[in-house]
Amino acid sequence: MTLIQYWRVLPRPLRIIAGRLVMIVPQMFGVMLVTFLLVRLLPGDPALLMLGNMATEEQIISLREKLGLNLSLYDQFIQYAGNVLHGDLGVSPFTSNPVAVDLLERAPATLELITYAMLLTILIGVTLAVISVVRPRGPIDYGSRVYGLAAGAIPDFWVGLLLIYFFFYVLGWAPAPFGRVDAMVTPPPTVTGFYTIDSLLAGDFAAFFSALGRLLLPVLTLAIVNAGALMKMTKTVFADAYRSEFIRHQRACGLSERTIVRSALRNSLPPIITLVGFLFGFLLGAAVLVETIFSWGGLGQYAVQAVINSDYPALQGFVLVAAAFILVVYLIVDILYELADPRIKV
Amino acid sequence: MKKNGIVLRFLQRPSAVIGLTILALQVIAVIFAPWIVPYSPIEANPLVSLEAPSVAHWLGTDVSGMDIFSRIVYATRINLLISITAVIVAFVIGVPLGLLIGYYRGLLSATVMRLFDFIQSFPVFVLGMALVSVMGQEIWNVAIVLAVLFIPMFARLIRAEVLSLRERPFISAARCSGATDLSIMFRHILPNAMTPAIVQISISIGMAILLTAGLSFVGAGVRMPTPEWGLMVSIGAQQMILGVWWVALFPGLAIVLAVLCFALLGDAAREVADPTARRR
Repeated sequence: MTLIQYWRVLPRPLRIIAGRLVMIVPQMFGVMLVTFLLVRLLPGDPALLMLGNMATEEQIISLREKLGLNLSLYDQFIQYAGNVLHGDLGVSPFTSNPVAVDLLERAPATLELITYAMLLTILIGVTLAVISVVRPRGPIDYGSRVYGLAAGAIPDFWVGLLLIYFFFYVLGWAPAPFGRVDAMVTPPPTVTGFYTIDSLLAGDFAAFFSALGRLLLPVLTLAIVNAGALMKMTKTVFADAYRSEFIRHQRACGLSERTIVRSALRNSLPPIITLVGFLFGFLLGAAVLVETIFSWGGLGQYAVQAVINSDYPALQGFVLVAAAFILVVYLIVDILYELADPRIKV
Repeated sequence: MKKNGIVLRFLQRPSAVIGLTILALQVIAVIFAPWIVPYSPIEANPLVSLEAPSVAHWLGTDVSGMDIFSRIVYATRINLLISITAVIVAFVIGVPLGLLIGYYRGLLSATVMRLFDFIQSFPVFVLGMALVSVMGQEIWNVAIVLAVLFIPMFARLIRAEVLSLRERPFISAARCSGATDLSIMFRHILPNAMTPAIVQISISIGMAILLTAGLSFVGAGVRMPTPEWGLMVSIGAQQMILGVWWVALFPGLAIVLAVLCFALLGDAAREVADPTARRR
């Protein structure tokens, strides 16, 4: 009873956040279960899979012992969950580093890529959607329809290659697709891990422009492919808001078009926030492909290396971190959604 | 009569006509591949490595001298086989599963839904990549993994329909007249709940083609020398920086056409199935 009273006097944003945080515990548990089963239940002996076909009998037995494969499945899971909660994701046999360290080292590269891609995607997607709703049957409306259809059909890795061909080989505008800064430029000292921000903090403009140039093509690739889907869905949501009664009322009252568009956009914000959250998950998957093309050295490329080398601890760690990342993004999205829509009761 | 009306309405849409045209081209490529192609799709010929498109090699050759046109035509078989199999398997498993968890709402249904939540909380491509690499990089494993990833989608679509249908009066009427659960589910609910799932088939095939190509591109799918579009693009990827554009360009175009074809067919099917959603 008293607990409920406490709950009621909490400010609304706090109640939203607390309510959502409770939800994430079982979700994380489920994700751990899936990544655990991923390697354990699939055909083959994990010890053999990790060591490869060249392993000797003794090596396999000792690794089985070390991994706890002789325990029951239940005990194995408890052990795995315990390790994960302590930040131990195993050791990669290829980089011979702890997987957690490897992942942490590479995470900022991917995050920087995804964040800029996200911003550009929202900019392109929402702008096109708004213009094509406000000016129906205009050139932008038709153009965006064709674009929306095509963007869903184009493989992102192929777009990346075409961009490299045109902007690097033919026009020579873009830098070579090898990594995050020029080989001649020393990366800025790590503060946030984002090269563009760190170089500015260090006042190193050469590094800043180099990093910015390197970001250009991969970010463009991700935005071109993903803005189409965001545009299509934003269009549906925004068109509903734009044709609703309150907008007609605003127009009757003689408000400027600018104000009307802004208030329609404000009212279609909650669904758009959800879409953006989904998009983040999509971008993480797409980053795997795009990072490979641009030798980005982030999480995605690490995962591809893990696949090629049959590096199962690394792969398992990556899948876990990716899923955890998505869960956190969805959590933030849910919180923002509820904050943006005052009608939702907590 | 009614059925003819639906087919006619479908055929009147430009998107359906374009989609069917591309589909017909693909079917021709699948069936007549051995008679169409001028070269073997898997035989390397180092003497003609990386030749630009010419009369002898319409779309050029790749780094090991394989004819790109021949490989693209043959790859249609692999790509469509994987994608269509995966979607059919997902449909056949997902639809009855969705029907069951929509109709019976107990602990088991809730558990299955949570399981779907977990599967869908992973980025599709990441989970697919991990599963294929753990199971072994075989054509059939790619199809199985894609099917597993698509099952929740079909099951959810059916479940959502079932949840609203099961409260309708005609279901109560069927129950009052003594129909068994099984006959209510399959004779009365299922036919009315199928439309969104059927529309989804075409769109899913497009998604499956993109995923297959992506998996092969990063080396977690079909392996050389099997002709597969994504794999072909990945072979051309290294030469793109050196200005050799044809190796990666043409297989990529094949992917775009194939996905576009199924997207157009899906759009047309949705418009026919749901006339209210015609103009958005």
